[in-house]
Amino acid sequence: MTVGLDQYLFLSALLFAIGFFGVLARRNAIVIFMSLELMLMASTLALVAFSRFNGTYSGNVFVFFILAIAAAEVAVGLAIIVALFRHRKTVMVDELNALKN
Amino acid sequence: MPALPFYILSAITAGCALGTVALRNTVTAAFCLLGSLLGMSGLFVLLDAYLLAALLVLVYAGAIVALFVFIVMLLDVRGSDTRPATRVSLAAAGVAFAVLGAGLAVTFGRNLMATPAPLAEAPGLGASLKFYGEQLFTTYLLPVQIVGFLLLIAMLGVIVISKRFAPVEDAK
Amino acid sequence: MAPDLLASLILVLPLASAALCALFLRRQGGLASAVSVTAAAAIAVCSGLLIFGGHREFPASWEWLRFGDFALSIGFKFDDLSALMLFVVSFVGFLIHVFSLGYMHDDPARGRYFGGLSIFMFSMLGIVLADNLLMIFIFWELVGFSSYLLINHWFERPSAAAASKKAFIVNRVGDFGFLLGIILCYWLNGTVNLSELAAKSSAGALVASTAVPLLLFCGALGKSAQMPLHVWLPDAMEGPTPVSALIHAATMVAAGIYMLCRVHVLMVPDALTAIMWVGTITALYAAICAITQRDIKKVLAYSTLSQLGYMVAAFGLGSLAVEHNVTTPGAAALAAGVGAAMFHLTTHAFFKALLFLGSGSVIHGCHHEQDIFKMGGLAKKMPVTFACFTIGVLAIIGMPGLAGFFSKDAILYLAMENNTSVFAVLTITAVLTSFYMVRMWKLTFLGAPRTESSEHAHEGGFTLWAPLVVLAILSIVGATGPLGLFPKLAGSVATLIPVAHGSAHTTILLVSLAVMLTGAAGAWFFYRSSENDALEQASPGFFRVLASKLWIDEAYGYYVAKIQQPFARALSFVEQIALAGFIIRGLAGVAGVIGIGARTLHIGNVHVYVYWFLIGVVLFWSYAMGLF
Repeated sequence: MTVGLDQYLFLSALLFAIGFFGVLARRNAIVIFMSLELMLMASTLALVAFSRFNGTYSGNVFVFFILAIAAAEVAVGLAIIVALFRHRKTVMVDELNALKN
Repeated sequence: MPALPFYILSAITAGCALGTVALRNTVTAAFCLLGSLLGMSGLFVLLDAYLLAALLVLVYAGAIVALFVFIVMLLDVRGSDTRPATRVSLAAAGVAFAVLGAGLAVTFGRNLMATPAPLAEAPGLGASLKFYGEQLFTTYLLPVQIVGFLLLIAMLGVIVISKRFAPVEDAK
Repeated sequence: MAPDLLASLILVLPLASAALCALFLRRQGGLASAVSVTAAAAIAVCSGLLIFGGHREFPASWEWLRFGDFALSIGFKFDDLSALMLFVVSFVGFLIHVFSLGYMHDDPARGRYFGGLSIFMFSMLGIVLADNLLMIFIFWELVGFSSYLLINHWFERPSAAAASKKAFIVNRVGDFGFLLGIILCYWLNGTVNLSELAAKSSAGALVASTAVPLLLFCGALGKSAQMPLHVWLPDAMEGPTPVSALIHAATMVAAGIYMLCRVHVLMVPDALTAIMWVGTITALYAAICAITQRDIKKVLAYSTLSQLGYMVAAFGLGSLAVEHNVTTPGAAALAAGVGAAMFHLTTHAFFKALLFLGSGSVIHGCHHEQDIFKMGGLAKKMPVTFACFTIGVLAIIGMPGLAGFFSKDAILYLAMENNTSVFAVLTITAVLTSFYMVRMWKLTFLGAPRTESSEHAHEGGFTLWAPLVVLAILSIVGATGPLGLFPKLAGSVATLIPVAHGSAHTTILLVSLAVMLTGAAGAWFFYRSSENDALEQASPGFFRVLASKLWIDEAYGYYVAKIQQPFARALSFVEQIALAGFIIRGLAGVAGVIGIGARTLHIGNVHVYVYWFLIGVVLFWSYAMGLF
């Protein structure tokens, strides 16, 4: 059958849900970050699909910016994780609960 | 549009995504992320966004995943409890997954989006680099400047965060 | 010079002088006194230019605050009434400033004193020139503050501190009524501007109300020391004598009368009757109390109370049927009262300031001895003071030809025409006035010196006797009659004075002569030159009753101690328990409990925070989907 917008959107939603599951289920902070990237990618896919099927450019151009921002976010987030690791010698989020109460 | 490449690529993407979230070994998870990215890139090609496909590989796969692998290697995690997930969090995540899925199903089921024109009539937009350049430097100039600024700030932030601060000696 | 500039200068000069003295010249007494006296002289000059330059009714008003429809403005209303009052305040004030130069020469805190005098001049001139009731109120409070400052000049004395507190608090009680009156006037008539009120009155658009004039009279009750708020004036004699002369004889206490005359368009017959009786009773009571006083300043203080009662009674009596060249019919009723009250106010300012300054000269000469039974024989030692003081005494008891005679006759005539019982009371009071004034005069000046201090008494310097001479001259010519200056000063106000004609004229003349001679002869023959009060020795019981001042101070003390303080303590208890306890700490406690509840949400587990995000997203999304 022809691949329409619905299929792309379903795939995007599936990827988003998988990424969300990963954020909630994993204990390693780095893996949580990677799942976060999955979620971002899912949203870029949805954007490009919409842009393609509606015949406009704006979705594509927006993905540019999402890429740039994702890069910046990853850099800063990983720097924070490294700094945390230096202090606490762990990256498991259930052990990083010093802000309790 | 041929359906087969779409299904293959989506299978790759989804499968590698599952691998990212499920595998115990962190390095393997990173490489599954890479695979997922490559699948996505292919999907972009199918959607005629050729430049974005190339950018995805260059920026995401080339820089971001590389950074992830660096950090994973740097933080040699051993000695602590390395279970990928506790049972409680798995159950909760499953519930969340179900909630999300239900929401999405409702959104799709209600047919809230008008079915667009068939694909064949839509022209291939993403082919020319020149067009992107034009758009970026005219209509979207402000976001470009802001993102530039953001990257500068991110760079500064990373430098500051990762400095090892020596303890300040009392002035003699 | 432009009249509004002159008027502004009149206000600004004393304020600048006060600021200089207060900020920079506290230690340099000499310089401070020079600055203050110069300012007073300049004020007198400017006032003269303004009054005799024929400027009347010039427009001058600046908006100061605005709240929606309501605007508080600062402005000047300069008609014949304020011209008269301005003359009194500025000229008598200047003379007293000169007197203070000599009197306070040895006082170490001269700088503070002259600063206080300057701020008093500023406040009083503000009242005189004000064009709306709120501005009067602001300067009214300032005058009360200046009075507090000056009574408390020798603050190391506990009696002075207590007296100044008493003055301020009692005035505050009156001012509360005053403020209520102003607010009610604004509520009913929509304006507090005097010119607008006058215009509304002649258009017949004023809302008739008994409450407004009575409440405004409360202010006069406090400031002009009428009963029951008279208790502060005798105690205010703790201040230096020039202060007593300026503030508590000539100007500040007259401010109440002046204010009543300013708002006379708001008066109604019931309020006028109440005012009349209050004034009459005060006059009689004060005269009775004055008979038993030993302190020369206290005698004069009670005399002031009594004369203020006369003025207030005169204002209240103003319902003479005879017209006095006023155009609107209702105004005739009040015009006579205004005329008589302002006439007596002016002449009283002259001779009472003279008497107080004379007593200051006496006190200074006797090295701060104030008991009249310890004086005597000062006629030969201080001749100039004796001569001027005698003129003052003759003026106050109503010797024909002097100023007080004409003004007192006007009031007695008004009383005779309108209310016979008031006339009787005022006549008796006049007898008593004559009695105690001659008593004081005889014991102080005549006979042989009874103590060391009066033995070595001497006349003061130029600055001490020169003002006395000027005021004595004014006491002679400052009224109507052949040499009278009053019509020139007062313009249209002078035409409002009730003047007897024909048989009434003869009656009044005879009555006042009889009154004066009775009282004077009684005192002359009764009091011998001795260390003891002859009345006290003749009938101690009666004397004790008179000297008790009818136990009013004790009544106030009882009220405060036994009624007000327990009530205040009960309220404080309620406040601690209910307000501070339940409401304030309770609310803080509720905030604290909420904080504790919120704190428990901070698990520290990142996953939990993500779940919170999810819940939020789900809520937003279902709202967007229209699920609820």
